[in-house]
Amino acid sequence: MATRVSDERATPPADEKSEADTQRVAPDPRQPRPNPLREGLRLERMAEPCTMVICGATGDLTERKLAPALYNTLLGGFLPPEFTVVGFARRELDDEAFREHLLEGINRFSRNRPAKAAIWDSFARGIEYHQGDFDDPSAYVELAKRLDRIDRDRGTSGNRLFYLAVPPTLYPEIVNQLDRAGLASPGDRRRSGPRRGWTRVIVEKPFGYDLESARTLNHELGEVFDETQVYRIDHYLGKETVQNLAVFRFGNGLFEPIWNRRYIDSVQITVAETVGVEGRGEFYDATGALRDIVQGHALQLMAMFAMDPPVEFHAEDLRDEKLKVLRGVKPMSPADVATNTVRGQYVSGWVEGEKVQSYRDDEKVAPDSDTETFVALKLGIDSWRWAGVPFYLRTGKALPSRVTEIAVRFKQAPLALFARAGVPQIEPNVLAIRVQPDEGILLRFGAKVPGQGLQIRSVNMDFRYGSSFAVDSPDAYETLLLDAMVGDASLFTRDDEVERAWEILDPVLDAWKAGEGGPLHFYGAGTWGPPAADELLERDGRAWRRP
Amino acid sequence: MSQAQPPATEEHAVHRHLMRFGEAESLATPMWEERGTSVRAIAGYLASLWDGEPRLDADGAPLVTEKGLPHGRASVLNLIVTVIDESAADRVVRTLEGLGVRHPSRAIVLVPEHGTGEAPIDARISTHCNEGGSGQEQICYEEVVLTVRGEASEHLSGIVAPLLIHDLPTHIWWPGDPPWRDPVFDQLIDMGDRVIVDSSDFADLLTGLRRTANLRRRSGVGDLSWERLTWWQELTAQFFDAPRFRRYLPNLSRLLIRYAVPTPTADRHDEDLEVAPGVHEPMAQALLYAGWIATRLGWKRYRTIEALADGALRLRLEGKHEMVDLVIKPTASDEVRPGDLLSVRLRSLGETGAAEFIIDRDADDAIVATNADGMTALLRRVPMESPSEAELLSAQLTMDVADPVYEAAVRAAAILLASSREAAAA
Repeated sequence: MATRVSDERATPPADEKSEADTQRVAPDPRQPRPNPLREGLRLERMAEPCTMVICGATGDLTERKLAPALYNTLLGGFLPPEFTVVGFARRELDDEAFREHLLEGINRFSRNRPAKAAIWDSFARGIEYHQGDFDDPSAYVELAKRLDRIDRDRGTSGNRLFYLAVPPTLYPEIVNQLDRAGLASPGDRRRSGPRRGWTRVIVEKPFGYDLESARTLNHELGEVFDETQVYRIDHYLGKETVQNLAVFRFGNGLFEPIWNRRYIDSVQITVAETVGVEGRGEFYDATGALRDIVQGHALQLMAMFAMDPPVEFHAEDLRDEKLKVLRGVKPMSPADVATNTVRGQYVSGWVEGEKVQSYRDDEKVAPDSDTETFVALKLGIDSWRWAGVPFYLRTGKALPSRVTEIAVRFKQAPLALFARAGVPQIEPNVLAIRVQPDEGILLRFGAKVPGQGLQIRSVNMDFRYGSSFAVDSPDAYETLLLDAMVGDASLFTRDDEVERAWEILDPVLDAWKAGEGGPLHFYGAGTWGPPAADELLERDGRAWRRP
Repeated sequence: MSQAQPPATEEHAVHRHLMRFGEAESLATPMWEERGTSVRAIAGYLASLWDGEPRLDADGAPLVTEKGLPHGRASVLNLIVTVIDESAADRVVRTLEGLGVRHPSRAIVLVPEHGTGEAPIDARISTHCNEGGSGQEQICYEEVVLTVRGEASEHLSGIVAPLLIHDLPTHIWWPGDPPWRDPVFDQLIDMGDRVIVDSSDFADLLTGLRRTANLRRRSGVGDLSWERLTWWQELTAQFFDAPRFRRYLPNLSRLLIRYAVPTPTADRHDEDLEVAPGVHEPMAQALLYAGWIATRLGWKRYRTIEALADGALRLRLEGKHEMVDLVIKPTASDEVRPGDLLSVRLRSLGETGAAEFIIDRDADDAIVATNADGMTALLRRVPMESPSEAELLSAQLTMDVADPVYEAAVRAAAILLASSREAAAA
């Protein structure tokens, strides 16, 4: 999405007065004049000079994801010379040990590794470690001083990106402390001298556990930060394909006219994993498939698929359209939950040639757990575009193959011209958008079998991105970190989207909990979920696509 | 398809060796070769390539997609390359193989031989499938090398047209000095969407730059020497991404560019002082860089201070607020390819105070420094590797048809060079 444009332009140039002086004709002071040398260059998106503060910098996420993402972004030339990293955590480390920690992460997990010594040494000079407890106010006062010094010494223009790489339970403490130390608001004038520049905060999912906890979390963030400052990161949305979905729909004239109830019969969204809960049993048992996958990934895919074309490809327009889709999905009554949802849990079986033990046999899972590892839902979107078109969502663990796809089934031709006695009606056309692993698009249509007589067979026309463009796609974290530095929130979830997703799913969770939402079904690991999931579609005269 | 045999192990090894991008590997089928053939026979063979029985991989297993279907593909690009002789063709084929997974879907290498020969057309076709980084994906392409003799060599476009994949963008790469006035060159230009030249290879730089600038009326133009500047441009632009440094841009007063020429050795004769093979005009990159800055910042020609001599020049240009001193100098160096930039210094003097922006190259890295605002110099080291020809070509092949920034820069480069020569005459 090379055309993405930052929508957060609240930041005046660092030195507005002298810029106006030198240009004689003062332009709009809130709009810095674009860099004339940028025009036509390959790298259209450059991070602005800024300091990235990683709270919880000694953790796994920093080592596995953030350090490699920063290094690759640097190699790509997207990081400005002023860019500075401050690691903030409790552990006793000095700058050198923290740099070592990051370097180790790069050398182990980066797609470009090992790090080149000369490049790293130069980059490492802009990496510092700030030791302190997250509940200690003086740690934040010191942090503020440190950041001011960095602004002066390294020219980071007061731009700060806080990355909360900590469990969500710590968010309220940290954001309140940031606020008290004057670190939260842009253009803060409470401390000595005006500070110009932006402040943004990246928070990791899960965004709440249900509607109430999500509201609380959003409220706590909202007390301190303006919504335009908050970047909720869901790495799934940073994947190239999700962006491709928008290009496929709005960059081609062919598909948009048929993207509605007149031509589309139904839509299936599948997010299938082959793995069980190995090692994540404790987290998963408290979460379940609905919260883990449907709340974020599946509903976001559905929203990207179904949204109206945004007025412009800007974050707010995009997210407004996605929200409209989610608002069109009406929350279910308990009776609806029983009819339109199926939850399942896997028992032992074979996946990809390996034996998988029952979910309940996992040592971190309660032996009588009724957490769902599979869920199938039938949803509808009450809008002029989609009224009456069922959206079938399914996701699960220990399924036969790892695949994420959206399959669109089109309506039958209005007249069965080629129908004969004993010959079944031609299968409907299917357009399948595969998100992973083999990103691509498949169109299924009927063709005449060569020879005398009229025999019709469905054929697949298979396009795969990889067979025409083979470029290293950036890791999702690289895309998203750079987006946050550029101020492009298109691929981040807004508070109202998160809350709406919970409004849709809370009644399902409640009905299940109350025992009104239908029973928990069991399915063998390595199968496509319980038979009840098939019945959900058979009732409507449809069947799941085998991806 | 009868040729669908497991590839020879040796060929396999060569391709492994040549893959430059990621972990890509290539499977090559044996070559189809026919002397004295016809366009129709070649087109027939190309059409037969991807249908029929599934092709086999090295172990004799069919190459199939994840869905169990024989391999299919989506085509994105045609490339036509014209070279002067067989040895140049081999070099080009090696470069194309270096493109790995970014290869055009069909490449046609033309070797015109003007003498009358036995048969008018010899063809050599090979097909390649590269495995992309993800391991599963296969990217397949064909490479056709045609030797065309006698009268037929004056009608290349008619030979190539039936062999292109229909309705795809077609790029024409002309390594070496293009025959600007040759009708064959004209025909080919009109067939393609974009011509790729290398201005460092021009026999006469001024003529070449002017003609290249004029080509834009008929076709998109790309230049490998311009592509070599990509990282320099990026680093230069980065200086001024920060708004507080951007204000220095209108007040730039000096641009110094140093570029590499080979170290002269004592026992070299005068005629040996020519630069390395393939680089006729080492000044091209420096001029294009100057042309780029001048057009982006709206500098105008003013007067010549030091006329072109020994690859150095000094011009006075008229900037927005200041007069700008443009200095281009050759510097002996064997560390980098002749013609590559070694150093760029931008100095600003004016009401905003003094500032200097420096990029100094040093083998595989560069030191980038800013001295401004009375701040401690911002200094860092960044990677600066010389891209291979394949990498340059690959980047050019992904470009859109028109590149207005380049077109403006090449026009300006021609004007700068012409100015320095005029003064020399006077």
